[in-house]
Amino acid sequence: MLVVSVYRYNPEKDSAPYMQEFNIDTKGADVMVLDVLSMIKEQDNTFAYRRSCREGVCGSDGMNMNGKNGLACITPLSEVVTADKLVIRPLPGLPVIRDLVVDMSLFYKQYERIKPYLLNDTPAPAIERLQAPEDRDKLDGLYECILCACCSTACPSFWWNPDKFVGPSGLLQAYRFLIDSRDTQTRERLSELDDPFSVFRCRGIMNCVSVCPKGLNPTKAIGHIRDMLLRNAT
Amino acid sequence: MKGHRECVRAVNSKRPVNLDLATIKLPLPAYTSILHRITGVILFVGLAFMFWAFDASLESEQSFNAVKETLQEGAFAKFVLWGLLSALAYHVVAGIKHLFMDAGIGETLEGGQLGAKLTLVISVILIVLAGVWVW
Repeated sequence: MLVVSVYRYNPEKDSAPYMQEFNIDTKGADVMVLDVLSMIKEQDNTFAYRRSCREGVCGSDGMNMNGKNGLACITPLSEVVTADKLVIRPLPGLPVIRDLVVDMSLFYKQYERIKPYLLNDTPAPAIERLQAPEDRDKLDGLYECILCACCSTACPSFWWNPDKFVGPSGLLQAYRFLIDSRDTQTRERLSELDDPFSVFRCRGIMNCVSVCPKGLNPTKAIGHIRDMLLRNAT
Repeated sequence: MKGHRECVRAVNSKRPVNLDLATIKLPLPAYTSILHRITGVILFVGLAFMFWAFDASLESEQSFNAVKETLQEGAFAKFVLWGLLSALAYHVVAGIKHLFMDAGIGETLEGGQLGAKLTLVISVILIVLAGVWVW
């Protein structure tokens, strides 16, 4: 029998969040954490969490499972559970709307800030902007980010300065456009990031790398941005 | 249907934030980074005492000998000195690790773990050596 302790908060009823325990019988199967959540919902249908694709593509069900952020849908119990105990809490550092549902506005604001789209001031060609295969290869390990916020909400620098530090996810995306051969605004993008907080709050502790469900490496991307900022400095 | 008043209260309520650090698992590099910060603060405060001792030692030959004797004989003074040297050793080693990472070395998950472990091992060796030197 698995004892699952979940974070509960209903703004209409509760003055403060609390932990609630559920006994779940998985019949010995090594199911995903998301399956356990749906079993809890069968016991208590007021329990709220986000989910959509249930296969690690949409990035809706990021949460903190036994102390580590990850996607509930692709995290098997065997990976997180110790001694038949599972503690599930919402992503750290973001305001809780209800139970495991957090307000991601701050996270999205930082994403919006880095202008996550191609900027090109040359006339648009008739068909498409071409890119050499080796230039396309530079986007590998960057474009795969699904914005689940597991990394940024595992980052102490983001916890303390979510309004000023772009965060690992935003910076990974920033680098994705900085090195895109089809983007012509590299210099402008860099000057937007050139302050003590946006990039340089990263202390390289790599919490982001250790939780990314896609196996991406924001720390490395941030290192590349730092190099570009230094080279761009006048 | 919820009443209008309940809805307004729900939307305007001050939302809680889950940030109970005791519930969050941090990897080793996070702890070595926190230790880097703590040793930095210790050095900042400790330097005031070192400057004070340095200043006292410069006043006269007698005061120089007094400070020298305290640092060589006083158990508490030696302990403080060793503590400061330990903080310095750790802070320097962790700082050098930062330089390596700035050069793009050890930026993978495994590299970061290894870097954190090396930081701890090398500074423990230096701290033991500092202890041997002080006593």
